[in-house]
This record gives sequence, C-alpha cells and structure tokens, in this order.
Amino acid sequence: MQAKTRTLIKNITIVNPKESLLADILIEGDTIKQVSKNIQEKADIVIEGEGKHAFPGFVDLHVHLRIPGREDEEDIRSGSAAAVKGGFSDICCMPNTEPAIDNEGLVSWIIEEGKKVNLLDVHPIAAITKDRKGCELTEFGALKAAGCCALSDDGSSVADSLLFRRALEYATMHQMLIISHCEDSRLAANGSMRESYVSSKYGIGAIADISESLAVFRDIEIAKFVKARIHLAHISSFKSLEIIRNAKAQGVKVTAETCPHYFALTVEDVEASEFDANFKVNPPLGEKEDLLAVCRALKDGTIDCISTDHAPHSCSEKELPFENVPFGFIGLELSFSLSYTFLVKTKILTLNQLVEKMSYRPAEIIGLKNRGMIKKGFIANIVVADLNKKWQVTKESIVSKSKNTPFLGRTLTGLIETNISKGRQVYSL
Amino acid sequence: MQKHAEKWTKKHILDIASLSREEIEIVLSLATSFKEISERDVKKVPALRGKTIVNLFFENSTRTRTSFELAAKRISADVVNFSSSSSSLTKGETIVDTIKTLEAYHPDIMVIRINSSAALYCLKKFTQASIVNAGDGKHEHPTQALLDMFTVKEIKTTLEGLNVLIVGDILHSRVARSNIFGFQKFGSSVTVCAPPTLLPFNYGQSGAILTSDLDQVLPKADVIIMLRIQKERQGGLFLPTIREYVRDFAMTEERFSKLKKDCLILHPGPINWDVEIVSSLKHKVHPRILQQAENGLAVRMATLYLVGTKQK
Amino acid sequence: MKESKRILTAEDIKRVLSRLTHQIIERNPDPQELMLIGIQTRGVYLAERIQQLIQEIEKVPVSLGVLDITLYRDDLTTIGPKPVVRETKIAEDINNKVVILIDDVLFTGRTVRAALDEIMDFGRPKRVELLVLIDRGHRELPIRADFVGKNIPTSKQEIVEVKLMEADKIDEVMVTIQDHSQD
Repeated sequence: MQAKTRTLIKNITIVNPKESLLADILIEGDTIKQVSKNIQEKADIVIEGEGKHAFPGFVDLHVHLRIPGREDEEDIRSGSAAAVKGGFSDICCMPNTEPAIDNEGLVSWIIEEGKKVNLLDVHPIAAITKDRKGCELTEFGALKAAGCCALSDDGSSVADSLLFRRALEYATMHQMLIISHCEDSRLAANGSMRESYVSSKYGIGAIADISESLAVFRDIEIAKFVKARIHLAHISSFKSLEIIRNAKAQGVKVTAETCPHYFALTVEDVEASEFDANFKVNPPLGEKEDLLAVCRALKDGTIDCISTDHAPHSCSEKELPFENVPFGFIGLELSFSLSYTFLVKTKILTLNQLVEKMSYRPAEIIGLKNRGMIKKGFIANIVVADLNKKWQVTKESIVSKSKNTPFLGRTLTGLIETNISKGRQVYSL
Repeated sequence: MQKHAEKWTKKHILDIASLSREEIEIVLSLATSFKEISERDVKKVPALRGKTIVNLFFENSTRTRTSFELAAKRISADVVNFSSSSSSLTKGETIVDTIKTLEAYHPDIMVIRINSSAALYCLKKFTQASIVNAGDGKHEHPTQALLDMFTVKEIKTTLEGLNVLIVGDILHSRVARSNIFGFQKFGSSVTVCAPPTLLPFNYGQSGAILTSDLDQVLPKADVIIMLRIQKERQGGLFLPTIREYVRDFAMTEERFSKLKKDCLILHPGPINWDVEIVSSLKHKVHPRILQQAENGLAVRMATLYLVGTKQK
Repeated sequence: MKESKRILTAEDIKRVLSRLTHQIIERNPDPQELMLIGIQTRGVYLAERIQQLIQEIEKVPVSLGVLDITLYRDDLTTIGPKPVVRETKIAEDINNKVVILIDDVLFTGRTVRAALDEIMDFGRPKRVELLVLIDRGHRELPIRADFVGKNIPTSKQEIVEVKLMEADKIDEVMVTIQDHSQD
C-alpha cells in the first residue's frame, strides 16, 4: 500500500468556530493528524504559514451548477474550479436544472461527475416535487439512498401548503432536510427588484418584501406543526428575520442562510448601477434596514450560515435590459472575501464567527461529519488565506464560466492562497 | 433664458428626473423657435443635414413615432424607422443584437421606445449614438412631459407655483413619472390621484401628494393631466370595472363645473372618451389636447437638435 | 492687454443710417415693394430703425421681417457650445418683394449665405439686396453688400463690436485689438 501523503503547515493562525490559535497542522492522507505548536515530524509538503490564517474548508449549501442542461453557463468542472478557488471543500447543488434533479439516477450521476473532477465533494440536493412542478412528491427514500443531501424545489416555493406539509412530514421519516425557497409567487408579481421607492421611481416591476416573509411564516408554522426540521434559503429581509428569530426562541427546528449580497448591497446600489443586469437577483436586494437586519441576525445567530446562491448566467442573457434578464449571479469565488470585507473588517462578526457561518454550521446542517473544524481526526479540509491582501474583482480573475457579478471592479480584502481538500492541495494561487 | 442654450451638455435624453430646471428651460425655449418653422410654407430647416436618426420602436406607437419622424425630417435629418413588427426580433435576435446591428450604420441619434422599464440605461452601452427616450416601459416618457410643460407654459405663461393634478393609472404610467419630476423642478405642486391599486408603492418620496379623492383636490387644480386608462386593467387586480373607475375618476360635467375657470385639462392621448373624460366635454377640452400634438412636434425638434448637434 | 478704438459714435450712426435710407429709396422707388429683413439680433434693430426712417419719408408702411440663421449655419454640427436659436418671423408674403437683408457687420459672408438660403425657403423674392452697417473685409464667399455704412479695413485678430441702444444701452462701433504678446 502506498504511503499516505503528509503535509505540514507551519506557524499559522488556525481559526476555529470557538477559538483561534497559532500552531502547526500536520495532515496525513485525508485526515488532520495533529494540531500543535512546533511539530517536528517529517512531511512530503511543507507550507510556511507565517502571517497567514487557516480556516476549515467552507461549505456552501446553495449552488447552481447548471448540470444537467445549461453546461454553457457552468459545468461540474468549472463550478468545482470556482468553488475551490473560493475556499470551498463541499458544495450542495440545487435541482432546478433541465431536467430537474428529481430521481436517483441524476443524483448518483452528479456525485459520479463530481468525483471525476475530484476537486471537492459535490452533494446534490434533490427536488421535493416531481419536475419541481409542486404537484407530486419525489421518492425521498430512494433519493437519500442515492446520496442526495437535502430536498428543495429552489427557484420556487411549494405553493400548495398541504403538499408542503406532507413533504415535511414525509421527510422526517428519512431524517431528511427540506430547504425552502421562501417566496409567495403571486405577491412577487413577476417583479424584477424589491418594491421600494426606487422601483416606484423607475416603474420597474417589483417584489414586495412580504412575498418572502409570508412564505417564511407559512413554512415555519407548518414545520412547527409537524415537528419537522426546515432550512430557509437566501433570507434577505428584516421582516423574515423577525419571524425566524421568534421561531427559534420558541424552539422550532428552523435554520436559515443568507448570502453575501444581502449584507453588502441594497436597492440604492441597483439604482447607482443604472440597472445593471448583474444586480438582479431573487430574492431582490433590499433596503438599508434589511441589510442591517441581516448583519444583526448573523451576529445573534438568527442566521446560521452564509451560502452563495451561485447562479451563473450566459453573457448574452445578462446583457439585456434589467427587466428582461434572469435572476442571479455568481458567488463562489467571492463569498469569503466579501464576508471578510463586509462582516469581519467592519467588526460585525469575529473570524471565529465567520468560520461558524461558512464551515461549521452548514456542515452540521446537512449532516457532514468531521468537517468545519481544524482539529485532530477531522477531515483535512483547510483553506490558507492572506487577510492583508487586497484584490480586484475582474472578469479575467473569474474562473467560473459565467462572469456575472455585481461586484465587478470592486476591491476586496482577504485572498485565498491555498485550498486543501481531503489532504490534497486542490488550489493554489 | 435663451442664453442658456449654450450650457446643454447632455448626450442623451433618457429621463426628466436627471434633467435640471435649466436644461428643461433650454428645451422649452428652443421649442418656441422651432414651433414657428412648422408654420412656414417650407417646413424644413437644414440644421441636422447629413445626420442619421433611427426611430427604433420595440412597442407600437403610431403617434409618437410619427411625431419623432416628422420632427427629424423638419430639421433635415435622414430618418429610418425600425419597428419590432418588421424587425428580426421575432427570429430570436435580442434587443441588444438589434442595437448592435443598427450601430453598424453609424446613426447619430436613436429614438427608442421599448416596453422594458429603465432599459435605455442598458442599451446606451451598445451604441455611440445619442439616445432619446420615446417611452421605456413604465419608467419615463420625457418628450411627452416636455410637451406638456411647454403647453402649460404657453397657456399659463409660467410653470411656477401651479397646482398640477395627475389623474389615473399612475402605477403604469411613464407619462406621470416624467411629469411629476418635471413640474416639481419649477416649484409647482404635483398631486397624483388614483385608486390605491394604481398608486406606486412608497411614492411620497417623489414629492408628489398622493390621494384617491378626486373631488377633494379638483377645485384647487390649475392644470389637470388625465391619463389614459388601459381597458385591460379592469377585472381583477387593479379595478373591478371601468364603470367603477368612471364613477370615481372620470372628468364628468359635474366635476368640470367645480374646476377653476382657467383650469387647463391635458391628456397624452389617445383618449378613451367616456372613460377618462365624458364626450359631452369634447368641445371644451379637445382643442387644448390637439394643441399638445402640435407642441409635441416642436419639443421633439428641439430635443433632436440639442442631442444631434455635436459637442466638443 | 486690449486696446479699443471708437470707429463710429451715436451721432455717426444716425447720419450713416439716414444716408443708407436715402440710398434704398433712391434705388427702389416703390416702398411698398420693399421688405426689410433684419438678421438676429443687431440686424433686427437696424432694420427697425430703417423701417422707421423710410416710413417717415415716404408716409407708407414698410414691411419688416426677422431672421435667425442659426439652423442654416454651415458649422452647426461641428461647433460647440450650441448657439442660441432666436425667433424667426416673416409674417408677410415674400414673393416678388425686394428684400433688403440687414446685418450689423459683414465679415466672412457665411451668415449672409445662410440668410439667403433661409429666405429662399420662404419664397421667391424679386431681388435681394444686402445692407450692412460695417464691412470689415475678409470674405470667404463671393458676397458683397449693396449698401455699406462704413468700410473698416481690419486684421483678422481685431474684433468689431456694434453696440446699439436696444441691446447695449449705447450707440457706438468699437474696434478692439487683441495684443497677442499678452495672450
């Protein structure tokens, strides 16, 4: 048997959910062998970590890899490359594909494809309803057996409340997590941006914030009623967060995620961009009040984790006028730097809290074992970053197939230099 | 006031919101000069000779297109009309592809009408030409507001200190959005009156006074702009029926009798008689509304002239 | 450094206009055939004064038009900033009239070219004659005036400034020499 590769990272500041320490990390094979000061063991690869920080590999619960169907926008290879550049070791991909991931064949196919690229672990999320049509439940048991990590009809809510209740009930039998896209689509009224003075001034079709919070409330009530777990995707508004905070206080098994753009951008930025299509996202960017509420909720734990909602779109789709383009933009490569720039530098979160939101909690939510901490015996998913480095987001710097992001041209702080996934160096600057 | 013409620096006319009062005054002052040209035997001056104007209409509008076309011709520009029905849009080409194709002909001005709000901020990136907004979705229709202001100024001699009342489907109206900003820049007060379903969200920030009680605000109005109500708004989301709308928001004989004597009624047209205005008032209000059409030509000549003459 | 010299005083201008008026009448015995057209802006004031003078002598009304030539300029799409467009008003039928086109200063001749083009768009006058208060030379087109108040040989750097009561609160003609060593 071949000897396991040993990697030694020297003199690095290790950031874990609860504490930081300056030490060495010894990796053997895919496992962390030892974390302590002054490790003298021999290693095949030695990384000098002085002045740098080590984070447990990030976990993204919300990625659109566009496979199958829109490989022109992203595919498993480009998506994996973008993810490891962004410091991720595990990503969960959403089933709103063409066709939808609603059967065990597609679930195992995606896992296989991910293994072929072999940069990080790709965990497919399967649809709650067949073809995401919101009419009939998919085969949760078979999907779980095939390896899906959660269930979601992301892109739309399950509008039928009875069906959603049954989905939550049925999922408890298999201990499966339902991730809900919270949106009352009738109230969203085919809008393109948050209903606000800006939308009114420019006559742009608008989505009221209650289209999210109403769905949040319904989903939480149903989950509470059937005593099921529920995870709420991409939460963006003040009103939703009030409801979630209240539910958590009552002991409802609800978890929630937000995305970097909800703590970095508002409707004012949409106006300032002159309605650049890259600023169109669903849920739409909110008001200042919402941004502040997202920051507060990250701090007090109402929001458990940060996901990207990485949504690649082809250039020709995104060069059209604001009302004519699809929602969403990419995020895998920017998530860490955005979070560091907008949350840690501004002292909203500590580095340890950031690790909790980007690594530990998301891993825990989908039940990934031995991830989310740099600790002896844990899987060797480690990201090395230089927190003093600034870098500019340019189209050239993006490895994802799609270049659509509202942060083009922005200078961010915190640069990922190395990504070690299961003991293998899968990315280095 | 005329001296200000030298201060025009805008490449495009995309909205009224970003024009200064001074810039609006330049357009209105020029329009006065241009109006005279249409009264001549030879209704043409060589101001934009050799310039090419593309009228790019992604949405049907015979009236606005005709007005822009005639305006362009009267200042000697070469005009081509491109409308979506005759275009390749049906063949899967995007709006942007169309702009890029037309750009190859080096037009100097593109007059664009499109059904997508705020679309021109995007489209301007794909052409060297100056863009004049001929109506973009529910956003703005700047030349309509300019001609409304021109008409009001002609009749009232001032744009200052007036009570301007805009009645109708504010939510879907680009004409309303342009006028609300335009009149306020001159220190006039703008009141918008519509059922709550047709008032934009959080719109108080625009500076306009919002109300649904027409009878209360009518007597104070110096100028009333009646907006066209789309018949498809009735039944369901916005209005129960047109009949119900007429009951609360139409200009009836009774409401007309409560107006100030010199109250000016405008309508961007085309009018649904007996919906916005009862037809028995036709002889009283129609002449003014036709005057608007004539003024529209002058205002559009002025805007094309301003963006079509080169700046250094 | 600028050096200004007064070429005509108010009294001079009065005398010159009187002479020009008599010349017009002498050449055009039927004043009702005449139409005076002043070029915006100072040509208009001169035309108004001449109209007054003719009417005083002949005791018949003489028609007057106002012309703004901005939209007929040959440099309109290349110059900036944008020139002001003023009123054009030719209320009466121009056909078969003898048009006396009136401007303050004749220089390159381009303004007159534009004015002629514009007049032709209003109809077919019997004849067009040109009257200027000052002819300063430097023609760029084959144009000459029929009635000249005063010929002033100038260099291209000099500025001829006609001031009239109606706009400037004084009647005088100044020539200003730009001292280039100071530029």
